[in-house]
Amino acid sequence: MSGKEFFVDRYEQLGWKFEDAEPTQAIRLNITNAKGKNLEERLQTAGIQLEKIPFLKTGYWIRSSKVSVGATAEYLLGFYSIQEAASQIPATLFTALKGKTMLDACAAPGGKTVQLADLMGNTGALVALDVKKRRLVALSNHLERCHVSNAVVYHLDARQASRLKLKFDKILLDVPCSGNFAADRYWFKRRTLADVERNARLQRDILAEAAACLSSDGEIVYSTCSLEPEENEVNMDWAIKHLSLQIEEIDCHGQKGLTEVFGSQLDGSVARCRRIWPAETQGFFVCKLKKLVSKR
Amino acid sequence: MKAIKDFAFQCGAKLSLNPEFILNRTGRYFLVNKNLRGYIQKDFYYAGTYLGKVKNGKFFPSFNLLTILARGNANKIVVDKKAAWLFICGRDIFRRGILTVRGSRKKGGHTLVMNEFGECLGFGKIVCRLDEEAKKTEVAVKNISDVGDFLRREA
Repeated sequence: MSGKEFFVDRYEQLGWKFEDAEPTQAIRLNITNAKGKNLEERLQTAGIQLEKIPFLKTGYWIRSSKVSVGATAEYLLGFYSIQEAASQIPATLFTALKGKTMLDACAAPGGKTVQLADLMGNTGALVALDVKKRRLVALSNHLERCHVSNAVVYHLDARQASRLKLKFDKILLDVPCSGNFAADRYWFKRRTLADVERNARLQRDILAEAAACLSSDGEIVYSTCSLEPEENEVNMDWAIKHLSLQIEEIDCHGQKGLTEVFGSQLDGSVARCRRIWPAETQGFFVCKLKKLVSKR
Repeated sequence: MKAIKDFAFQCGAKLSLNPEFILNRTGRYFLVNKNLRGYIQKDFYYAGTYLGKVKNGKFFPSFNLLTILARGNANKIVVDKKAAWLFICGRDIFRRGILTVRGSRKKGGHTLVMNEFGECLGFGKIVCRLDEEAKKTEVAVKNISDVGDFLRREA
């Protein structure tokens, strides 16, 4: 079960008519570093035409550029990061990050880790994990370039996060996923339904471990860049049924999560998730979960 | 720890660091605060502010450390836009690209290289006298390390 026809048919069953998409390059300002730097004007002087992304506070589309956006002095000094627009959403969904203990469970290469540190104003503690050691080099470079000072990085599988014996107020689970065709032009050739199902199982293991490390009033933001419901709505339905978590309302770009998937009915609260079909952004899925408070 | 202080001294700066908050992980040095200290276990990979590494007995400062030194009274040169761009491309600084000099002008010393906005782009070695009489076309500061390294590391 694979191939473009197979997956496109699935998307149509989910209510989306397939169309090719090429995400627009986007950047995110690192406010802690860029404050008072008049960055928008400096980049425009350098020949980079920016346009504010309407659904993000610190995100800009690159409309045109005479220079490589990843090679300006401003980039090298950590004033901004190149970060796809939809992937800027998850970190913004947490409430009150300053001074908190935060876990970024699948952190490399670190785009969202740096964004979290920025939103935390380099306060509190940001623990970042990744299972692949060679990816920690890219993560470390990213942290250094952006002058992050509140992060601790471990070479650790997210499924073993409880080994750290820490409780976290907030957990970002930008889990490993199957990706989507808008971010990988060979996606349809590479992916099979078996890959999707394998990733979905891995994601549930990570979710279960994260729930075990979450403090009593903690929040989890779960995200993937997959369009496949097994990795998204179906996993969220599983999480609320097995992990004492509830789905929170979020106010962000995207459509409501699906509550009916290939004939199966999911919990109504799954509609609170957000699904982004590819267009100007890549495909994306995001959900905010909170520990269920038991009523006495 | 000594390597960091020695480097700061070479740049004309004095750095006071509390050893309790400096961590050494396989030759890489990190500065952490009291709060973060509580989250650090012995097998950490990276923590707090990366200060630099010692390799084969030589200290390689991080850009975070250069930024910390730049806030103090380290030797600095401010260069014009063109020289700044060439510097982050790995090139040396010619006398004509230097707008102002602060601190030591002595040949052999280290100096931070700042752009017109006062942002630290890296550091270099002073290879000729930095006074007004020096030839404008002479290399004045030899590039040792610049922020363009972030791109070169990933190539």
